[in-house]
Amino acid sequence: MNLLAHTLLLAQASPDDVVLELARLQRNFDRLSWGFLAAWVILALFVLMMVGREGRLKRQIASLKAMLEERQKK
Amino acid sequence: MRDKILYALGIAAMVILARDVYLIARLPGEAAQGAIFKIIFFHVPAAWTAIVAATTSLILSIQFLRTKDFKYDAGAVAVTEVGLAFLGANLVTGSIWGSVIWGIWWTWDVRLTSALVCWLLYAGYLMLRHAIEEPTQRATFAAVFNIFAFLDVPIVYFSIRWFRTQHPGPVFFSSTGSFPTDWTMILLWNWIGLLLLGIVMTAVRLRQENFQREIDSLRREAHAL
Repeated sequence: MNLLAHTLLLAQASPDDVVLELARLQRNFDRLSWGFLAAWVILALFVLMMVGREGRLKRQIASLKAMLEERQKK
Repeated sequence: MRDKILYALGIAAMVILARDVYLIARLPGEAAQGAIFKIIFFHVPAAWTAIVAATTSLILSIQFLRTKDFKYDAGAVAVTEVGLAFLGANLVTGSIWGSVIWGIWWTWDVRLTSALVCWLLYAGYLMLRHAIEEPTQRATFAAVFNIFAFLDVPIVYFSIRWFRTQHPGPVFFSSTGSFPTDWTMILLWNWIGLLLLGIVMTAVRLRQENFQREIDSLRREAHAL
């Protein structure tokens, strides 16, 4: 029944309809890929931002400790 | 020991999410929407993770106001930043989904607008923290602002029940929606994966807040000398 229905449906479609449907499916799939990519890029950027901040904070701590040691020696 | 637990949680999150990517790729497209419907497996868990983050942040802010203990303030800012990233991912995936299904990238309906306002409020919370120098004043003002910002969260969540919106009605925790059980399981596992990822991110961010406090204390020491 399902096969018959699909065959009848396809018989009514013009080549243009098939091309349009294929294009719609491809656009649908492309947007899905972009959606997942965008979501993971946002999270990855956040992680990179945290990595950068951690490095900066550690450098600040090291330089402050060095400065304090120098002042205490004086 | 703490680092080992964090690594273990991070690896567990990655394994769960990688397994889900494989399962989602094998699922057929939804009858009416096709392949784009699969974006729900990230869109909804990202929103739930953001809601968990906002609720945790609210509790920590209230705890700070009650106890004036700075560890709660550090926790609130760490979890808010992570929640903001997940809400951003939710907004972007929703916009891409809408561009296919509605033919528009954005509409000012109650759900979308309240979610955007929520993002802006929490971004404002982080900006407010940068604007105040004195630590006690900064933490107090930020905690009060955080409680105010949370008022928007129930509006975001219930907007699709209270109003007629362009955004579809509730699918989960509702009698009106329907979602196949095996798809629900994949979605729930994806949520667990994102939650674990969020916990790891929060823990790393919290460590940075502790570094910041160490810097503040070293600066005070330097001034005193």
